[in-house]
Amino acid sequence: MRESTIMFLHYVTAILIVITGLIHLLANNDPVIGATIKANPVLYLGNMAIFLAALLYHAFNGVRVILIEMVPDRCWTKWISWAILIVGIVTYAVGLQVLMVALGFA
Amino acid sequence: MASEEAKEYVLPPEVLEETMKASEELWKPVRKIKFRIYKYNPRKDYAPYWEEHELEVSRGMTVLDALLIIKGEADHSLGLRYSCRMGLCGSCAMMINGKQMLACQTRVLEAAGSGDVVELRPLDNFPVERDLAADFTSFFEKHRAVKPWIIRNDDVELNNPTGPYKQTVDEYARYYQFTDCIKCGACLSACPTAATDYEYLGPQALAQAYRYIVDTRDDGLDVRIPVVDTEHGCWRCHFAASCSDVCPRGVDPAQGIQLLKKLLIKRKFGFKPHKPAEALPAKVKAEKKE
Repeated sequence: MRESTIMFLHYVTAILIVITGLIHLLANNDPVIGATIKANPVLYLGNMAIFLAALLYHAFNGVRVILIEMVPDRCWTKWISWAILIVGIVTYAVGLQVLMVALGFA
Repeated sequence: MASEEAKEYVLPPEVLEETMKASEELWKPVRKIKFRIYKYNPRKDYAPYWEEHELEVSRGMTVLDALLIIKGEADHSLGLRYSCRMGLCGSCAMMINGKQMLACQTRVLEAAGSGDVVELRPLDNFPVERDLAADFTSFFEKHRAVKPWIIRNDDVELNNPTGPYKQTVDEYARYYQFTDCIKCGACLSACPTAATDYEYLGPQALAQAYRYIVDTRDDGLDVRIPVVDTEHGCWRCHFAASCSDVCPRGVDPAQGIQLLKKLLIKRKFGFKPHKPAEALPAKVKAEKKE
């Protein structure tokens, strides 16, 4: 994947974090809107899944950028990117499972 | 007759005297300044050290003037790089009191301010060649990597040119400022990303890449993508803009890099950086046919 694609997704996930994060905050803090959102658990889980994915992608890509600047060797750059990707996928899987259990889907 | 006409252009004696006085005033020593100079020869010295020299300076004296006096009178071994002495070649860029400047364009009293010490050291983020001269090998490698020349695909027109390529003033204005770069290295030296990431292409190379990509005569975007769109390419710029802050020619490399990022994103949606320039005679012939 080209760096421009990775960074484009970085910007897209930033916008997604704002939108899905706002829905998540409203669902848990506003009694009226919260009740409406939580009335449909599938949609709420979908929002949380997108929120988690965007948050993890944005955060781990940030860490990747810091690491490849601190260890600029081209060989290490490749390893760092793969390691971050694997850690990200594992974290997302664990997070998704926790969400599904919490919302009664598993 | 001719001598009478020439007399009209002779300055009145009092004006001439005033001018001479002003000139003498400019070059009259006014203050003693201490120069703290970084000394290091990697082939000989175990570690860098500082050497101090005191000099009577005038209002018009530049840092380069002072260095050449020190080299001529006090320390013949002093290593520095300079050429044009008028801010055009970029050879004498160095750290003057902690800021990237051209020694030939910076007056000593301006650098010293209210103090009486001027500290000189080679550019940050560069290996030291010797004393105040930095090693530009990697800098020029990065510059060459972005292919800083016009790349064209029309071999027929290239080998048998029918005329110059048409370019409007607006098209020229898109890249004009970046042609002012003198490759002094001040921008790379000021860049905080380059301080840790030695693989990072740097503001100079990236701004030059943008300069050629947006040139309507150039077709080399696809050739330059594998160089600039990488982990150590334009995406590593965090827009500190210190490169633009220190550029002695007033170029804005930070803007160039941001525009390059925008261009790469737009390319994903099928946008091209420009319409290809056409050779003028072909255009004229087409208009005649109509």
